[in-house]
Amino acid sequence: MTTAGMRRGGVVLTVLGLVGLIALYWMCFFWVSTEVNQGVVQRIFYVHVPAAWTSFLAIGFAALASGMYLWLRDDRLDRAALCAIEGGLVFATLVLTTGPLWGKIAWGTYWTWEPRLTLTLLLWFIFVGYIMVRNSTEDPDKGKRFAAVVAIIGAMDIPFIHLSVVWFRSLHPEPVVAKPDGPTLPGDMLVTLLFGVLVFSLLFFGLFLFRYAVEALRAEADLRARSTA
Amino acid sequence: MCAFAVLTGVLFNFSIDTTTVRPNEVATGLIWMTLIFGGLLGVGRTFHLESQDGALQGILMSPAPKDAIFLGKLIANFVLLYVVSLLVLGVFGLFFGIDLGRNFGWVVFVLAIGSLGFVAVGTLFAAVAAGTHLRETLLPVLVFPLMVPMVIYGVGAMMPLVSGRPFTEVEGNVRMLGAFALAGVAAGAVLFRYVVED
Repeated sequence: MTTAGMRRGGVVLTVLGLVGLIALYWMCFFWVSTEVNQGVVQRIFYVHVPAAWTSFLAIGFAALASGMYLWLRDDRLDRAALCAIEGGLVFATLVLTTGPLWGKIAWGTYWTWEPRLTLTLLLWFIFVGYIMVRNSTEDPDKGKRFAAVVAIIGAMDIPFIHLSVVWFRSLHPEPVVAKPDGPTLPGDMLVTLLFGVLVFSLLFFGLFLFRYAVEALRAEADLRARSTA
Repeated sequence: MCAFAVLTGVLFNFSIDTTTVRPNEVATGLIWMTLIFGGLLGVGRTFHLESQDGALQGILMSPAPKDAIFLGKLIANFVLLYVVSLLVLGVFGLFFGIDLGRNFGWVVFVLAIGSLGFVAVGTLFAAVAAGTHLRETLLPVLVFPLMVPMVIYGVGAMMPLVSGRPFTEVEGNVRMLGAFALAGVAAGAVLFRYVVED
């Protein structure tokens, strides 16, 4: 895809995502039925969970692109990894702000060392580590390789972190969708949640394409500056 | 590092109120934290020796495979950290009055796996940090988030052992710790060549 194509794709996906976001908020506040035990506060769930899924999608995508980059040495793959990481950082930040807001009312405390919350916090640190490593080398190619290693090791560590923090202690509501015996969520809640996941994924890929187009233009400008100098 | 270990033990002793907490219950966690901080000091210096006069380039240009260089560094770091961790165990045992009894062998075994897991991740990221201009300051940012499983399983395995429970109770934890260490060594051996290539 050309850079202009990327940008057009980014516009389309982001506009779709933003329209979807308005619809999602409408569904959250007016359409979906209120959960019996938790009450109104549970409505944050339709933003929180899709954001969490998206941030895990981002690290998976980034690790895959990083692995491919180390193998093929195509700068486009490295750019894709960087854009996914930055998007993931945004969505992980969303999770880390909506989670405590909900937790304050549902658990009575902003923060507990609860497995999935801990996992997201550590994921956030892995994203930050990736960006720090990338920006702290003089040689950009070295930074790309280092960052790719961070993304791969980070993604590999996630199953371990997940298992260990679950083993450590669990306060978090149990999964309601990804379960062996099918989802237990009532219909309208499931629809709202899945719609939320779709909207957040659209937004993620829309922003991703925008960001990617910017990086591609920057690389092109660098190349031109170097060839004229 | 040995002096670091002993002095940490002394400082920890003053940092907790021994009348409100039972020292041998918190000692396990403190041992692991000392191991991690001490280990970070150790692995941070992995590539320090070669940083002068282009010695690292010399090693990398030699026909030795890159993964062999990584494993060599890893073994050196492991021996160093393991010796220190045994010293830490002895010092904390003495200061906090821990009686290991018949579980001594298992505790020493768990510390060996934990040290291996730490140096596997630590050595790889020491190479990364050495190539950046932030150097050692970057190392904890990269390594600490990844060390969470190790601390949880390590302390989870050692705490019951220290209070005299049988090994069969903590076998699952030790297996996970072993899996973590093996994954770390394997990933490090594969990825190291991409960190040092030029």
